[in-house]
Amino acid sequence: MILRWTCFWKSCVRIHDVAVKMTGIRGKLLVCCSQNHILQLSRTNHQTILDLLKNEAVQKYIQRLTDEYKLVTCTLENLNLSESDRRHFHQRRVELLPVVNAFMRTVHAAKDLQEVETILQSTVDAPTQDEQMVELLREEQTELNRRVDDLNKELIQTLVPVDENDGSDVILEVASGRTTGGDICQQFTREVFDMYEGFASYKNWNFDVLNYTPADYGGLHHAAVRVSGEAVYRWLKFEGGTHRVQRIPEVGLSSRMQRIHTGTMMVIVLPQPREVDIQIDPKDLRIDTFRSKGAGGQSVNTTDSAVRIVHLPTGIVAECQQSRSQLQNKDTAMQVLKARLNQSIMGKQTAERDTARKQQVGTRAQAERIRSYNFSQDRVTDHRISYMTRDIKEFMRGGEELEELISVLLEHSDREALLELVEASHPKLAKQQTTDKEGD
Amino acid sequence: MVFRQKIFWRFLHQRNRVTLRQVSTASVVGEKVIAHISSKLTVQQALNQWAECFQVTGVSEPNLSSQHIIAHVLGHKTLNSLSKRGLTQVLSQPQVERIWKLCHKRLTRMPVQYVIEEWDFRDITLKMKPPVFIPRPETEELVSLVLADMEQRGGASRYPDTVDFLEVGCGSGAISLSLLQSQKQIRGMAIDQSAEAVALTRENAQSLGLHDRLTVSQVDVIKDADWLVKSCSRVGVLVSNPPYLFTEDLDSLAPEIQRYEDRAALDGGEQGMLVIDQILTLAPRLVTENG
Repeated sequence: MILRWTCFWKSCVRIHDVAVKMTGIRGKLLVCCSQNHILQLSRTNHQTILDLLKNEAVQKYIQRLTDEYKLVTCTLENLNLSESDRRHFHQRRVELLPVVNAFMRTVHAAKDLQEVETILQSTVDAPTQDEQMVELLREEQTELNRRVDDLNKELIQTLVPVDENDGSDVILEVASGRTTGGDICQQFTREVFDMYEGFASYKNWNFDVLNYTPADYGGLHHAAVRVSGEAVYRWLKFEGGTHRVQRIPEVGLSSRMQRIHTGTMMVIVLPQPREVDIQIDPKDLRIDTFRSKGAGGQSVNTTDSAVRIVHLPTGIVAECQQSRSQLQNKDTAMQVLKARLNQSIMGKQTAERDTARKQQVGTRAQAERIRSYNFSQDRVTDHRISYMTRDIKEFMRGGEELEELISVLLEHSDREALLELVEASHPKLAKQQTTDKEGD
Repeated sequence: MVFRQKIFWRFLHQRNRVTLRQVSTASVVGEKVIAHISSKLTVQQALNQWAECFQVTGVSEPNLSSQHIIAHVLGHKTLNSLSKRGLTQVLSQPQVERIWKLCHKRLTRMPVQYVIEEWDFRDITLKMKPPVFIPRPETEELVSLVLADMEQRGGASRYPDTVDFLEVGCGSGAISLSLLQSQKQIRGMAIDQSAEAVALTRENAQSLGLHDRLTVSQVDVIKDADWLVKSCSRVGVLVSNPPYLFTEDLDSLAPEIQRYEDRAALDGGEQGMLVIDQILTLAPRLVTENG
């Protein structure tokens, strides 16, 4: 079990110690740092994601959706609708239906709960001898409480906008940073690569290496893999960005001086759509194989099966040397190219996705880092949600620890997305809310 | 004058030393290679050592050769499928011995495909044995073309005793077997004038489980033309990768090809058209009207 402790800064250290004792061998712990962060942290807790429903803006938003649903249903019953309008309203109704259904179920459950509570209250007010009856009522109450919680979670799930790429496979790239501490960057890149390999096996995903360029001393310059399986993009989308490492190198002068070096590496995560519907004109491609370097055919025998494809209009390049068959390498390289092209085309259509990629690729500056791995203090910090965890070794095995962090990130983003949606659909209300907050 | 002579001698002496040093590095590489058999080696070290050795001895594609052979010994197709952890693993004694044995074969300029006795062609892995011709990457595309054409024309023939395609000069069976692999209902016939090629095609068909849909015969398309026409008329597709090199160019090929691959699979006669002409003359009598 993972214990999560939320505490105030002053008592933080004390509770930290207690927690370490309590969790014992596993030593898993999360500590919050400063008062500023407590707000952010508690936002991401399970209880508080349910608190979202108590948020006035969200309540109004749900109310509006229900009203709209009623209106749409009424309009649909009207016979004088034109065909296109009818189709439009019908579509809207289908969109609204799951939200309204989920909401209705929660309302019913809440009503049931209330009834049970009033009866219980009345038994407390006027004690009766029927102990069995009270017992039964208590049981029902806890049962209903659980049900309401579940239904509320479900309702939030239906409200949160779905990213249509969530289910798709992913092309994951890791690249070592350009900072001067070359060795530790490359070594760290390899470790991160191992971490994702571990995470893929933990999640039962396929992990196909497309490209692997090792560096000296067991490091890694760059690698690309295809990860396929269930909801891969959903779990990996927040991994893209610059990861920072702080550690004392294992060899060299700095090792003897115990000097801490800082290095970076980059992770790029691109969704690979299952059905790629991009049409590529063969004229736009330049395919480099062994043959294109000179004579081929019967007069030459080669074991060089590497293929490199360049999409001339965009300059996007994909290469593959995974298989001994040139044709298979070409097919794989083509898939990678299509995924990259798809990304760039989609990026053109939707500006925010473009910025997402830019954020990932970034300028590799340390300021844009998303996560730090501090080996000398044995600590991993995610800067986006101020999440911190100990036991870096366990974390980099890519198992539960990483999953825990990503699920917190996911909840955080779900929450943000929902609030954003609510605000976007009703700017006035949101404004009012913020002024209210400031007034507090 | 004497002074000048002195300088000249010194110069000569220096040059001699340089050449001497070069010779000694080459032999050192050789010694190092042998010396390391007993000591513990990681995959990466073995790779670098053999790549260097091939480089020095002038074997073509030194890096790839070393990679393919070592990957093969480790039970992988390429080193890419063996992730980074694999590169630092220490080789076992039998593995080292096998790598050394195979790499020494490569030093005699034996093609990698013969050294590791297998190669991939499209989605199948074929056994390779000298002197049977090694399929080239371009041929993979030929198969793609034939498959696209077959698809356009629709499925298998309706007569149970006829074959859908005939391959002339099958070599290791690459074209025929990958056609059968991709199209599950068709049947084919493959011929080659070389007994080794016929045997190897049979062996590959057997190991891929495609032998019941492929007839293999040792037939010379030039000498046994009449027999061929008699026994298999009305095929839908005639496919071949016939020899097309000029006889005079054969001597300028890489030693890998000259020493190990069957000349008959490459020699297209003086104009390179000998076998091609023969196939084209026979073609109207072999294929169906719309074949």
